[in-house]
Amino acid sequence: MDTKKSFYSPSTVTMVALMFVASAYFLLPLFWIIIASTKSDSQLFSTNPLWFALPFNALNNIFNTSSYDGATLWRWFSNSIIYAGSVSAGTTLISAMAGFAFSKYDFFGKNILFYIILGAIMVPTTALVLPVYLLMHGLNLINTYWAVILPSLVNPFSIYLMRIFWMQEFPNELIDAAHVDGASDFTIFFRIGLPLVKGGLATVALFSFVSTWNNFFLPLVVISKSNLFPLTLGISIWTSLTSTGRGPSYGAITMGILISIVPLILAFILLRRYWQSGLSSGAVKG
Amino acid sequence: MKKIKFQKSLPFVFLSPFLILFGLFYIAPLVYGFYLSLFHRYGLRPATFVGLKNYVQVFNDANFWFSILNMTKFFLIQGSIMIGLALIFALYIDNEKNHFRGLFRMIYYIPFAIPTAISGILWGFMYSKSLSPFQSIFGLVGLHPNFLSSGSLFWSIINIVTWEWAGYNMIILYSGLQSIPRELYEAAHIDGAKSFDIIKYVKIPLIVPSLILSIVFTVIGTFQIFNEPYVLGSMTFIPPSFTPNLYIYTTAFSYGNFNYAAALAIILALVTFAGSMVFMRFAGFKEE
Repeated sequence: MDTKKSFYSPSTVTMVALMFVASAYFLLPLFWIIIASTKSDSQLFSTNPLWFALPFNALNNIFNTSSYDGATLWRWFSNSIIYAGSVSAGTTLISAMAGFAFSKYDFFGKNILFYIILGAIMVPTTALVLPVYLLMHGLNLINTYWAVILPSLVNPFSIYLMRIFWMQEFPNELIDAAHVDGASDFTIFFRIGLPLVKGGLATVALFSFVSTWNNFFLPLVVISKSNLFPLTLGISIWTSLTSTGRGPSYGAITMGILISIVPLILAFILLRRYWQSGLSSGAVKG
Repeated sequence: MKKIKFQKSLPFVFLSPFLILFGLFYIAPLVYGFYLSLFHRYGLRPATFVGLKNYVQVFNDANFWFSILNMTKFFLIQGSIMIGLALIFALYIDNEKNHFRGLFRMIYYIPFAIPTAISGILWGFMYSKSLSPFQSIFGLVGLHPNFLSSGSLFWSIINIVTWEWAGYNMIILYSGLQSIPRELYEAAHIDGAKSFDIIKYVKIPLIVPSLILSIVFTVIGTFQIFNEPYVLGSMTFIPPSFTPNLYIYTTAFSYGNFNYAAALAIILALVTFAGSMVFMRFAGFKEE
């Protein structure tokens, strides 16, 4: 029955070939940055951009990027981990609690509140970031970790996602049964509930980690001290300094870029089970 | 009796951490932003109340409306290319008969893991005359394009944004496709439908909600574009009116005009909201 769909039929081969062309497009910048990060500046400007050149300068670039300006790159790296790690942990707990309330209780104003939260997904961040900057200024929180962490903890989409996970993975009968056994709602939430929705927790944790690691606009506005920069901000400042001849070498920048993107690419490949399930439960209902 | 009373406050205990932060960092900034937009600062004197004067100025601000128009154009072109590609990819990886589905899904989604500011820098390097791998390729046919000239910038950024978000949209559409019961395909197949007909008459109509979600996310994202043009600004000249966000940021932080910037941000939010609503309405009509 499937003979016309065999691997060697012309239309199948064409389609697979086109998909490989698309793959090359998506991988090209990554391939280029790997090559570029192994070259000295003179090799960067004179050798084939799409292939390695000898002598191999990767170690040299690692040394240059690591030692520039008192190891500031690694300082930014740990800042990014602090920002993304704390936002990820905080958002996951906050969203799990709010999602639990929305899926398991009836309370006054529940639907209106939920629609407000859904509407909040549509508010552009600029409309928020400007007044947030002035608020942070008033609270003396500019140039502190809090200025990035606190506003990032509010994530309407995570609540929407957690609500779906609670509805799907945690049957209401379990709550009734636990009530009969004398368990309080907090015990039910922490002891029985959270382990059952751990797929949802992992998804929310992964996505908020990624979006905080990748955030640029908020730190740009509320952080101006170099020792508090996340990687995204630090590397963009390096780039603009180098373009006017006052920053690190291109070899150091390209190696810095590679260092800043490798952890998340690895996380995505290793944790693909979670983003796939998370996005599907979020999107199907959309 | 006692238990029921206790239960009533309980959901708010679970909600309180979120509600407090939501109030502080969503609702309060919006209200405060609106309040700010009603004032104007003359020189160094304290701000004076000017009512809706800033809004009148927004409506006459050619730079702002240029940026809105520019991003509308961007949305129509880039959005069509990206969602079109995402749909083709999603249809491919959804069909069990196809090869390397997991591999392609992984590869296309990887750019989503890379910060958009870093993607902007990365492509910026690849566009620049001295580092670009494209110059030697185009050079073979005697072309020496300048990807960062004012004429090609718009298209160069379309390429970056498509590269970043096509895989993400693919996953949204793929999730929609995965929720279609497979029996429908068999039924259509028995009725003599070709695979192209099944795509046209079964798959696409059934993933309209996912398509709308994709489009609405694209509308919101497009009107907020900032990082890519901002980082490219260190490699080439980019006018602040290129995107609304860039214009608002410049107004606030380069010119220190926070009151006017607040009014611009509110109008941008309303424009985004209206744009999203158009497509949601459209979806509502489709479903009836």
